[in-house]
Amino acid sequence: MSRMARTRTSGRGPRGSSTLLAVPGGIWMLVFFIVPILVVVWYSFGQKPGLYGTHDNSVLSLDRYGEALSGAFLLTFANTLQIAVIGTLICVLIAVPFSYWLAVKVTPKWRYVVLALVLVPYWTNFLIRTLGWQILLAPEGPVTVLLRQLGLVDAAFSMLYTKGAVQLGVVYNYLPLMILPIFVAMERLTPALREASKDLGAGRWGTFRQVTLPLAAPGIVGGVVLVFIPLMGDYITAQVLGGAKGNMVGQMIAGQFQQGQNWALGSAMSVTLILITLLSVVLVGAVGIVCGAILRARRRLPIERTAAAATAARTGTEVPA
Amino acid sequence: MTGTTRDRATNLSLRIFGILVLLFLFAPLLVILVYSFNSGRLLGAWEGFGVNAYQTAFSSPDILHAVGVSLRSSVVATLFATLLGSALGVAIGVRTGTVVSVIVGVLALVLVTPEIVQAVSLMPWLTSLSVDWGIAPLNDGILRLAIGHSLFATAVVSFLVRGRVRALDPALTEAAEDLYASRWNSFRQILLPQLAPAIGAGALMAFTLSLDNTIISAFVQTTGNTPWPVYVLSSLRSGLRPELAAMAAVMLIATLALLALAAAVLARGGSASSTARALVGSE
Repeated sequence: MSRMARTRTSGRGPRGSSTLLAVPGGIWMLVFFIVPILVVVWYSFGQKPGLYGTHDNSVLSLDRYGEALSGAFLLTFANTLQIAVIGTLICVLIAVPFSYWLAVKVTPKWRYVVLALVLVPYWTNFLIRTLGWQILLAPEGPVTVLLRQLGLVDAAFSMLYTKGAVQLGVVYNYLPLMILPIFVAMERLTPALREASKDLGAGRWGTFRQVTLPLAAPGIVGGVVLVFIPLMGDYITAQVLGGAKGNMVGQMIAGQFQQGQNWALGSAMSVTLILITLLSVVLVGAVGIVCGAILRARRRLPIERTAAAATAARTGTEVPA
Repeated sequence: MTGTTRDRATNLSLRIFGILVLLFLFAPLLVILVYSFNSGRLLGAWEGFGVNAYQTAFSSPDILHAVGVSLRSSVVATLFATLLGSALGVAIGVRTGTVVSVIVGVLALVLVTPEIVQAVSLMPWLTSLSVDWGIAPLNDGILRLAIGHSLFATAVVSFLVRGRVRALDPALTEAAEDLYASRWNSFRQILLPQLAPAIGAGALMAFTLSLDNTIISAFVQTTGNTPWPVYVLSSLRSGLRPELAAMAAVMLIATLALLALAAAVLARGGSASSTARALVGSE
C-alpha cells in the first residue's frame, strides 16, 4: 500500500486532466451496462401480458420473484450452486499443489514456459475445448474405450451427459483462472523466506502452513472469486457435456428470454442470480478476512512478519497486510 | 535443500502431479487437433486420416462468414476496450476520491455480473435504442457484438492499466515537469511508453475474450451476422462435423502465433517474468 500512498500524495503529475479521461468510459458503462441492468430490474416487477407479449409493467408486484423462487427454478438453482461450489473446491485442491510446484520447485528458466502452457487452453475457444471433452467422453470415445479395455467399466458405461461430465467440464474450463492468482501469490515465496522459516525451527509442514499458505491466501480468495462467478452463470459447458441433465440457472434465464418470451420472469431470475452471486463474493471475502485474522493471531511472534518484510523490501513486492 | 528420501519423494510426486495437470489441460486440445484430420462425416466417429476437413472448412461460405464476423467484431471491440479502458485506468490510477470509488465499483460489478445477465439485459435495450429511439447504427450486427464484448474487456484493460499506473515512480513525471515538459508532452513521452506493456496485454486479452464470447453474442447478434462460437453452438444440434475441428485448429494455431509475437514484442523492454506477469495481469 505504501506505493499507492506515495502516488496519491505526490501532489503533481497528470492529475488535472485525468478526471476527463474517465468520462467516455463512464458514459459507455452507464449506457450499455448500468441502464440495461436497471431496465431488467424494472421488468422483474412486471408480468407477462397474454401469449404474445414479452413484458408489461402496468401492475407492479413481487409475484415474479415468488414464481422464480419456487419449484423448478429453485431446484435448478440448487443444482447450479452445487456444481459451482464443488467445481470451485476441486479447482482449489488442484491449483494449490500445482501452483506450489510451479512457483517453488520448477526452476525459474522453465517456470514461465510452464505458465505459458497453462495459459494455452485458456486462450483457446472454450466451446471448442468443451467439444474436445465431448469427443473424449462419448460412448465410443477414447476415454470410454480405454476404460472398457482395462476392464474398469462395463459395455453400457458412458460418462457423457452425466452430472460427472458437467463437473469435469467446469473444473477443466476454469482451472487456469484458479492457478494464475495462486501462482502469482506464491511466487512471492522466495527461497530466502523458506530458509528463514527453517532456520527459525519450522519443519516442512510448519513452513507450508505458517508461511506458504498465509502468503497464498489472497491468491486463493482471488481465484475462488474468478472461478465461482463465471461458473454460476455458465450454461454452455453444462449444455455440451450434460445434455438434458445439465440444466443450469443460466439456461433457464436464457429460455425465458428466447423460447419462453417471459421477460418479466426471466428478469426476476436474473436479479436473483446477481444478488446470490454478489452475496457469495461478499461471503468469500469475509471468510478470507476472518481466516487471515486467525492465521495472523496464531503466529505469535512478529519475527516472521519482519522476515517477510525484509524479503519483500528486497524483492520490491508488497507484504500482504 | 536437504536431500532426504522424504524430500525427494515429495518433489517427485509434486512433479508427477504437475505433469498430469498439464496433460489434463491439453487433452481436449490434442483431441480436437487429431480429430480435425478425421476423414469421416461426423466429428466424433473416427473413420480415417485425411485433410479433406480442412478443404471443406475453407470452402464453406457459412464457416468463413462466421469467422469473418468474429474477427471484425473482435477488432472493433478491442478498439473500444483499449481506448476506453486505458483512459479509465489512468484516471482511476492517478486520482482518488468518491468519483473514482464509484467508477472502480462499477468496473468491479462488470467483472462479477454473470455473463448471461449482461446478455439478457443488453438484448432488449439495444433493440429499444435502435427501434424506439431511432439510433440506426445499433442495427449493425458487428457494432452490436462489439458493444456486448467491450464491457467485460474494458473493465479488464482498466484494471491492468491502473495497476501499472500505481506501480510507476512519480519522480519521473515530476522530473518531466521540472524540465518544463508540458502536461501533454509529459503524458505522451513519459507516461504512455511506461503504460504500453499493460495496454498491449490488455488489448490482447480484449481481443481473445471477444473472439471467445458465446453467451452475449448469442443474444445480441442480428440475423446474418452469426459469430463463430455461436455458429459452433448451433451446430451442436445439427451434428458436429470435422470441418469445425479443422477451423478450430487453424484458429488455435493462429492465436498461439499471435500470442508468441506479442510476447516477443512485449519482452523487448523487459524480462520474461515481467511479461508473464503483465499477461497474467498482476503488474
